[in-house]
Amino acid sequence: MAEPYLRVENLVKRFGPFTALGGVDLEVYPGEVHCLLGDNGAGKSTLIKTLSGVHQPTEGKIYIEGKPVTFRSPRDASAAGIGTVYQDLALNPLMSVTRNFFMGRELTGPLGSLRMAEMNKIAHDEMLKIGIDFSDPTQAVGTMSGGQRQTLAIARAIHFGAKVLILDEPTSALGQRQQMGVLKTIKRVRARGDIAIIFITHNEIHSRLVGDRYTFLALGKSIGAGTAAEIGDKEMRRLMSGGAEMGDLKAELDAI
Amino acid sequence: MADLNEATRLQKETTLQKLLRRPEMGAFVVMIVIIVALAIASDGKAFNPLGLKNNIAIIAQYGIIATGAAALMIAGEFDLSIGSMIGFAGMSMAMMLKWGLPFGLGEASPAMAFFITLAMTLGIGWMIGMIVVRSGLSSFIVTLAFLFFLRGVTEVCFRLINQSTQISGLPDFKLESWFANLMGGEVFGWFYDLWFMLGGNLNRRGEQWVTGFDARFLWWIIIAGAAYFILSRTQIGNWIYATGDNKEAARANGVPVDKVKVGLFMFTAFCATIFAACQVYDTNTSDAAKGNLMELFAIAIAVVGGTLMTGGFGSIIGVVFGAITVGLVANAVFFIPAIDGAWFRVFLGGILLAAVFANERIRKRITGGI
Repeated sequence: MAEPYLRVENLVKRFGPFTALGGVDLEVYPGEVHCLLGDNGAGKSTLIKTLSGVHQPTEGKIYIEGKPVTFRSPRDASAAGIGTVYQDLALNPLMSVTRNFFMGRELTGPLGSLRMAEMNKIAHDEMLKIGIDFSDPTQAVGTMSGGQRQTLAIARAIHFGAKVLILDEPTSALGQRQQMGVLKTIKRVRARGDIAIIFITHNEIHSRLVGDRYTFLALGKSIGAGTAAEIGDKEMRRLMSGGAEMGDLKAELDAI
Repeated sequence: MADLNEATRLQKETTLQKLLRRPEMGAFVVMIVIIVALAIASDGKAFNPLGLKNNIAIIAQYGIIATGAAALMIAGEFDLSIGSMIGFAGMSMAMMLKWGLPFGLGEASPAMAFFITLAMTLGIGWMIGMIVVRSGLSSFIVTLAFLFFLRGVTEVCFRLINQSTQISGLPDFKLESWFANLMGGEVFGWFYDLWFMLGGNLNRRGEQWVTGFDARFLWWIIIAGAAYFILSRTQIGNWIYATGDNKEAARANGVPVDKVKVGLFMFTAFCATIFAACQVYDTNTSDAAKGNLMELFAIAIAVVGGTLMTGGFGSIIGVVFGAITVGLVANAVFFIPAIDGAWFRVFLGGILLAAVFANERIRKRITGGI
């Protein structure tokens, strides 16, 4: 617990004159769920895109296991163990579960032929480990529910060596039951103990249910951070609404 | 309720149910109907020794180019230049055979004429692919440009060098060159020998009638077999499907999307060149109109075979069924003289439309109705 797997120090990202991130600090520990909360435009997306190598930071440093690193491309970040599961999941709906699982990283035998039986087994087992028993890995991803697709994308990231799993709003656009499914998956990944999870969400309840540590962003800056014990429900609600008090918001509305 | 999870909601299917849901099922049923109907309507003539040979000849022609078109469509692109590429390749080979190698480098052997032509067509295929992936333009427009461009170049070359838009009366290269024989000769002679030994395959004088299939039958089997293996069983096949389904997802997972596409444009050029070579070495002729409209037949057969217009889905087995169906109907007029040959196009239009609707239904079922 002493050493965070991933540490971000004073991260600044500017796009021309616009400052998307104005100096953010973040520490992510293995076996923990770090919730990243904030309103639209708070800088959550820019932060994760910087962590996953899509953007290069303007200032500040990223450390992996204490060593400073520079990501020039998503490939660099992925090689350093950062696995990002975006909202669109990067899945192909017409292709089978197994073919999606190994897309671009297929196991091949002679003449580039696919070791299909072995791949089916790995895809099935990896998904079972984090919670879905998928009896038929040859079925098309298009027939799966949103929650199952999330699980597939997460299982894939873990199998290919993710040490930090970045989940970009995995529970949005899902029904209640499937949201619970995704939260269970997060819990199971957490229980492995060797993977750090960054969970981006709008949803206070979801973050309360699985979070160990919280960082709140507003207008590109961190406005509050702490462990689950340090941040009470009331404080959480205040930070969720961008640091404003409920009373202030009410006054703002009453003025109309 | 407690033991009910999402996986249990997916019905387990029997092997028969799975078979019925396969994309090539529609094409298979139509093919069987056509085979039976043609056998009855032609009084068996369509499948007598000569009828079979002639039918397979046209089916194999369609099959070769439709395989290329289908593989490219699965990756999400079209190639409208196939027909003009056939004309260009045929012109190039016949021209070298008649007038010798370019720059006065002497006589051209059939093999040399073929390989020099293949180098050119693969180069053009590579160029078309590079233009499509670099510019991000629709392959429809880029290859339409090459449809006109290549057909024009073919005619200009003919008139400039040959003074006429056709070449005929070349010597029969099959007799001396094993290579020309490989392209334009006969294959599977044992099939007809066996038929003769069993008491069939007789001409009016009681001798063996037909001695073998056209060589393009073997080429079709090789090309379709290789395409089937690559698409369904290999890493490159997985990349082709991934590229056509969701290009960005494929790229995000490290699939070299652009290389896949360029490679497939080269593959359609290869198929067109084989088509042209079989024609040139079989008949020892060529003319500027060869391959006209073939790009559209190739695409139509791919669609009839269950390939999605939007990419990401399709099967080479379905394309084989599609080629058999369309080839038989194209040839039907020779066996049933009472019908007008133009009914072929009426039929093709009809099944094409039906196939598009059927394919769309399959896609919706797989993607859950979106």
